Amino acid sequence: MKKNRWYLFGGLLLLAFAGFSFTAFKDSMTPYVPYERAREGNRIVQVAGALEKGSSAYVDTRESLYFTLKDPQSKETLRVRYKGLKPANFEDAISIVAIGRYDVSAKEFEADKLLVKCPSKYQGAEVKTYS
Amino acid sequence: MEYLSHLYLPGALALWCALIFSLSTMWGYASALSGNTVSLTFARRSYGFFALSIVLAATLLSLLLMLRDFRVEYVYQYSGLDLPTHYQFAAFWAGQKGSFMIWLFWGTLLGLLLRRAAGANEPAIMGIYTLTLTGLLFILVRENPFIMLGKSPWDGQGLNPLLQDNWMVIHPPIMFIGYAASAIPFAFAMASLWRRRYDGWAERAFPWALGGFLVLGTAILLGGYWAYKTLGWGGFWGWDPVENASFIPWLFGTVLIHGLHMERTKGRYRRANYVFTVLTYISVLYGTFLTRSGVLADFSVHSFVDLGISGWLTLLLGGFSLLGVALLVLRWREIPTEPSEDPFLSRGTFMVLATITILIAALVITAGTSAPLLTRFMKDPSQVGPSFYNRVTLPIAMLIALLLAFVPYLPWRGIAFREVARKMLWPFVASVAVTAGAVLWKVHDAFHLVFILLASLALTTNFQKTIDKLRGASGLRGAGGYLAHVGVGIILLGIIASSGYDVSTKVTLIQGVPRKVDDMMLTFKRFIPRQGREKERMEVEVARAGRKPFTVYPKMFMNDRTRQVMVNPDIKSSPLQDLYVSPIDFDPGQPRLRLAKGETGQVGTMQVRFVRFDLEAAGGNAVAAMSAGQPVTIGAALELTQDGRTTSVMPLYRINPATSSVETPPLPLPGGGAITISGINATNGAVQLDLSGVASPAKLSLDVTRKPLIQLVWGGFYLVLLGGILATAHRFKQMRVLERVTGV
Repeated sequence: MKKNRWYLFGGLLLLAFAGFSFTAFKDSMTPYVPYERAREGNRIVQVAGALEKGSSAYVDTRESLYFTLKDPQSKETLRVRYKGLKPANFEDAISIVAIGRYDVSAKEFEADKLLVKCPSKYQGAEVKTYS
Repeated sequence: MEYLSHLYLPGALALWCALIFSLSTMWGYASALSGNTVSLTFARRSYGFFALSIVLAATLLSLLLMLRDFRVEYVYQYSGLDLPTHYQFAAFWAGQKGSFMIWLFWGTLLGLLLRRAAGANEPAIMGIYTLTLTGLLFILVRENPFIMLGKSPWDGQGLNPLLQDNWMVIHPPIMFIGYAASAIPFAFAMASLWRRRYDGWAERAFPWALGGFLVLGTAILLGGYWAYKTLGWGGFWGWDPVENASFIPWLFGTVLIHGLHMERTKGRYRRANYVFTVLTYISVLYGTFLTRSGVLADFSVHSFVDLGISGWLTLLLGGFSLLGVALLVLRWREIPTEPSEDPFLSRGTFMVLATITILIAALVITAGTSAPLLTRFMKDPSQVGPSFYNRVTLPIAMLIALLLAFVPYLPWRGIAFREVARKMLWPFVASVAVTAGAVLWKVHDAFHLVFILLASLALTTNFQKTIDKLRGASGLRGAGGYLAHVGVGIILLGIIASSGYDVSTKVTLIQGVPRKVDDMMLTFKRFIPRQGREKERMEVEVARAGRKPFTVYPKMFMNDRTRQVMVNPDIKSSPLQDLYVSPIDFDPGQPRLRLAKGETGQVGTMQVRFVRFDLEAAGGNAVAAMSAGQPVTIGAALELTQDGRTTSVMPLYRINPATSSVETPPLPLPGGGAITISGINATNGAVQLDLSGVASPAKLSLDVTRKPLIQLVWGGFYLVLLGGILATAHRFKQMRVLERVTGV
């Protein structure tokens, strides 16, 4: 009898923790969305795109990096503000993923994190021809 | 035949030979199962040849890298003429193929040791172990590192600048020893199930599991160091999928070594240990699948794209999981177990609780890492951010600390709570004192305070026990486990302090103008141009009232090949906190002058007069060298006048017609700053000069972070590893004694 009570207690604890992790999981999920869905600004999302050439600038006074992402398919653009340093291989990236939330009043996407991809360096798929 | 001509044949042959020998090894061991000694000898020799082939293949790959044979695709992709020797070598594991190669290489060498330690069940153990290696070998034969380009480029693409770091030379190979070692307990367990030899395998597998756990732990520690010290991620852990892929097996490994210890000392966990070995090995394969197959390509900073091996990886993962599950299901009822009735406050019960807790931690982290896979079929594929891991692991860590705090006082037969409370009195008082100190410092979050209390309690009780053990008859030998637990307590304290209470400020400094950040005065002194291999650095002086000022040198430089801006933070460590200074942006305030011969230009208060070109600046005549196609050095004789004083300087401009490369070393100026020739116009004899740090002041934006008690994280980790080493040494010694007694 006593042992069963322990099992019950343990089971309930596990169940509670499972519920807790599930909510934490749902809360911190950041789905990939197209720009127009990101513009709703109601949650943290990820957007991906190519960097529009010459659009990036670090603004001292606001301690932020500003740039424009362009969707390679739809050619739509999204203005992004990132509070931090320009990532190492930023200008040469073929694709940039920004994780954050759209600020509806400032009309810009406020990124907390950037993933910058240069696949030619990590896993060189294409080989450039040298003459 | 066309396929053949695209392969570097010696290397490819070595791999194919290895494949044939691995198959003959398995065949030999299979026929040796019936006790045929001729087959056993055949299998052993085959394994020897297999190992030889793999060593040969690995040696060839490293030779090709060292010889810079850019005809080979892998060498072309990851090496370059500008790489120093140790990075040329490290390019071995810079890519996917080389990573599998080094994994297989270590696995093969470990197999040579395993063969001697396998005992009477050698055919089954080595047969299964060779099967795991063959799985890796198939990937390599398919994704051959010896593919040739069909042309001879004069230079390679170079190594990713992020990987050009000393940690890169040691971190990945150590990681792969840990990965390779995880297959050994798996082979022991599967062989034991298959051959129905349920006794003694735990004893033999234990030192291997412990060793693998230690090596993987060391690799994780080095990875954390790398991320913190040079990559500038701002911390030692980012919950990135690739980091998790090594952490999850380590957690399962933690459970496994405790389970195996229970089995060999008390005969407990006999069924569970089979499950743990399978989980540990499968989690290594699963992590590899997640990070190397391209399923996470959009979600990880390590960004691996699919190389066409996801199919193989899925097959490996599925095949070995099936093997493990099938054997477990078939034999489950046969595995002998001893029913145990433990009182609540006993070592047995707490061990079970700790095991369950760590298993849950590993599963939750696995679920988080798999989020992109799990949500793939939903509307939007998603990943979970660090906040998920932080939230979920905090309560788990607290529970672990609580359990660890009790462990030193719990005997197997159980103990009354009053007794435990009496023994725990002093550690408890000490922990309350630590917690009170935390309140006085700045911790006011109740959750964090409980966390600190529990972590301190785990630290102090285990510390007390370590001292007891050291004084007792067993001395150092028996203290290893408790010492490791002390380390866990210290790590937890370090984590909460350094990542929960770090203070970060972003600040822009004007050269020479001190600026206050908290209680520090920061001054950007100067930009130091590149000197040989030493990259461009920023000299920043940090002064605090009543203390000697010191200087930090964060780096910010352009990678020559990729034109990427690279950033390396500089860290000033002191026992209580690290000052972490990372550059964000640098504005050199660089005026440019174009001067014809005899012209004078003005930069701030300085006048620059271009006197003439000097064609004999490096000795020898530049015109003669030019017509001979040799490197040419041209100097620009300048007169600089500032505050009524005139100095003559001569910056240089070197052209190498053979490679059409231009070198313009910046020339430091007497009054600070530097001058560089940025161009020469041959038709009108004009020179273009760039001056830095002279007139409009240079501006440097920095991220200044103070991370309290981060030293505890490293120190605690060292203690865990030291405790583990003591325990491993102890077990290997015991096993040799065992072998002498039983004669196998």
